[in-house]
Amino acid sequence: MHTQFKTSLTALAAALALAAPGIGHADAAKDLGVAGRALTFLENGPTGKATLGVVFDPSKPASVAEKNAVMAAIGAGYAAGSLTLVGKPIEAGDVAGASGVQALFVTGGVNYAAVGAAAKAKKLIAIGSDPACVRSGGCAMGVSTDPKVDITVNRATAAAVGASFKAAFRMMINEI
Amino acid sequence: MNKTHLLTGVAASFALMAAMPAAAQSIDYGSLQELFGEAVTTSATGSPQRSTEAPADMQIISADEIRRSGETSLPGILQRVAGIDVLNHSAGQSDVNVRGYDQVSSPRLLVLVNGRQVYLDHYGVTIWATIPVQLDEIRQIEVVKGPNSALFGFNAVSGVVNIITYNPKFDPTNVVTARGGTLGAKSGSLVSTFKLGQAVSARLTVGGSSQDEWASTRAQPTKDQLHDPRSASANLDVVAQLAEKTELRMEGSWSNIQEDSRAAGASYSVVKMITNSEKATVTSDTQLGSIQAQVYQNQLTAKYSIAGGIFWKNTITVASLQDLFKVGTAHTFRLGGEYRHNTLNVAPVNKADVSYDVAALSGMWNWQVNDKLTTTAAMRVDKMSLDRSGPFLPRAPNGNNALWNRDITATSANATVAWRPTSADTFRLSYARGVQAPSLIELGGLELPIAAGPITLDIVGNPKLRPSIVTNYELAYDHDFAPIKAKLGVRLFNQDWKDIKTGISTGSLDFYPSATTNGGFTQINGLDSKLKGAEVTATGRFTPELGWRADYTATSVKDSPFAGINTFARGVAFQQTTPKARGNIGMDWEHGAWEADANLHYVGDYKFQDVVTSALTPVKAYASLSARLGYKTANGITLAVAGQNLLSDRQNQTSGLAAERRVLLSVSKAW
Repeated sequence: MHTQFKTSLTALAAALALAAPGIGHADAAKDLGVAGRALTFLENGPTGKATLGVVFDPSKPASVAEKNAVMAAIGAGYAAGSLTLVGKPIEAGDVAGASGVQALFVTGGVNYAAVGAAAKAKKLIAIGSDPACVRSGGCAMGVSTDPKVDITVNRATAAAVGASFKAAFRMMINEI
Repeated sequence: MNKTHLLTGVAASFALMAAMPAAAQSIDYGSLQELFGEAVTTSATGSPQRSTEAPADMQIISADEIRRSGETSLPGILQRVAGIDVLNHSAGQSDVNVRGYDQVSSPRLLVLVNGRQVYLDHYGVTIWATIPVQLDEIRQIEVVKGPNSALFGFNAVSGVVNIITYNPKFDPTNVVTARGGTLGAKSGSLVSTFKLGQAVSARLTVGGSSQDEWASTRAQPTKDQLHDPRSASANLDVVAQLAEKTELRMEGSWSNIQEDSRAAGASYSVVKMITNSEKATVTSDTQLGSIQAQVYQNQLTAKYSIAGGIFWKNTITVASLQDLFKVGTAHTFRLGGEYRHNTLNVAPVNKADVSYDVAALSGMWNWQVNDKLTTTAAMRVDKMSLDRSGPFLPRAPNGNNALWNRDITATSANATVAWRPTSADTFRLSYARGVQAPSLIELGGLELPIAAGPITLDIVGNPKLRPSIVTNYELAYDHDFAPIKAKLGVRLFNQDWKDIKTGISTGSLDFYPSATTNGGFTQINGLDSKLKGAEVTATGRFTPELGWRADYTATSVKDSPFAGINTFARGVAFQQTTPKARGNIGMDWEHGAWEADANLHYVGDYKFQDVVTSALTPVKAYASLSARLGYKTANGITLAVAGQNLLSDRQNQTSGLAAERRVLLSVSKAW
């Protein structure tokens, strides 16, 4: 009985290990979906085709992995409600010089303060999957999807980049 | 006159809209649902909320659940909701209530379509077939359990059913459906959404249905007393984008129905109704918040084949203004004001009118204390001013219009504390105080002389009726077993109902004859009642293709009649007529183009007024099965076979006509 239990645990661990890479990609796609749909609730937000700058730190494997997952999810174009997102990888140090993007998706582990400052200067809304980004004010919006969709807007940062959201959306999210 | 009021209101709406900065849009339920991964509702507080975070005991029935139920009526769909009681009196008439206290012409459940009342104020009842909505155009049905008159006003006392249709601006819904089956069942509907230029979107819906009445197998009702139920309806929903982000929504509807009704008590009679409605809503975001101005009018023409034929015309006009705004990051407020005018002819003479005006102020405060704790408080004060004009029956009791010069002021309230200690657990403690107003007929819409040998006795209205007050306490717990894809909900509730209004009893005089007046009968406040109960719900998925759900609700009712009141004779013997248990077990399965659904509905023993003897008679516990099997073709056509009451040819679900098995074939095409 004890052996059977250990065998079951081993099998469960193996199954989880096999599933892990898939989970990583699935979460990136979910985060991207929420971020893209949330953009449709911006007053005077982007419509039709919009380019999302995916900000990453090349020195941090987790950030690079998240960038790769988001870019893979976007593919040739990611439909999020009325928006179709296309992706453009941007190294964290290059945000100040980035052009042709309508919003930023900030991967975990980059220097949020520096990215946030550059985004504010360019009046770009930055969305991050790490709650620390929106809490620190680097991101105007934080999104998470596990265990359920959670959206947090940093009002000061949103105001600094000139982003305001529709009333119904504001009633349903967390604001800090 | 009423048309003038409505036009004035519409003009006021336009004026208000013109005065506001262009900025607002109506709620895009579909986009918000896709964003948050769950249904969105405004029926708890007036503010848009995720269904799992709404501070009310609420169940939302999705469009997909409606379609896959195979049901063709709203009561049939609602029957699947935990704790909902449904009395199916005939093939066309059902009474619905939340957690007990269901009765003939159930008055306690407020029913709305997109916030417009479709509950009929003349009798204080919902005649479900008159609701001018086809199932294919419903986005979701929001069922609030427990009083919510702090938001919606009078009569939202056992709960609220708010039917939300697709918005033509956001939802390009196009469906045509035809059904046919046993019992002569035939129905069809067309939902078409179209654009009128760039700025105007519209949805036109028409539909109709008919079927054979269930057969009578006893001495009453006789065959010639029964009529086949049939209905037809149409509605037009138009959204106009008047400026960049300024919106006007206009809805108009018509319905025409016939059904066998037990409205007169134990016996059956045919009722025919025509309804019309017109509604205009303007929404705008301003510096002061999201402001909504709305005006609507409902007109009802009802003909009952009782007492030689009774005709009622009821017109209600409602105008409201509300502001929804957020203060800081954690506080949401709603302030609202409403005015309504309601009038009914006094039948059957039809030379007098009884009416009332209601002025109401309401407010709501939602405070997100932190990410685990939320509180919500709402209050509404209604002042109802009664009026009566016109002559009375000769020698009628209460024969003085001055008796109607009376105001009723009542306060409704809701308060909820929700605590989410983990992402999987939610506890909710709530208090609610709801107000049930007297109906227009109870207030005098019926003055009927009855010959009793050498004397005449009169059925008259009672302008002195007090509103009934329902107080409800509830503790709710929900747990999400995410690893096994299952959810559990437990509710404990305690309800206290004061000053319940009773029907008339011809067994005891409410007015004794005098030298100048006849004796007579009227409705009175006759009892208090308490209810305790528990409800357990569970849902889950065995596999991505195979889901399940189950619920069980137990209730215990204790009536406390006032001195001299016979609750049975007055049709309010809830202690006997409320089943102690009801529940459902259901499954859904999908594989490729195939989909299958089944629901077993259980109701425990109860008693009800017998249709022949008029005595309280036992109705044995029963279980009814409904099911549907569907196949979707690649070109948008769905073929389905569905059935109700499948376990037996004929089943005694009430003390009246036995419910009959029905099987339907349907074909629908969406584009």
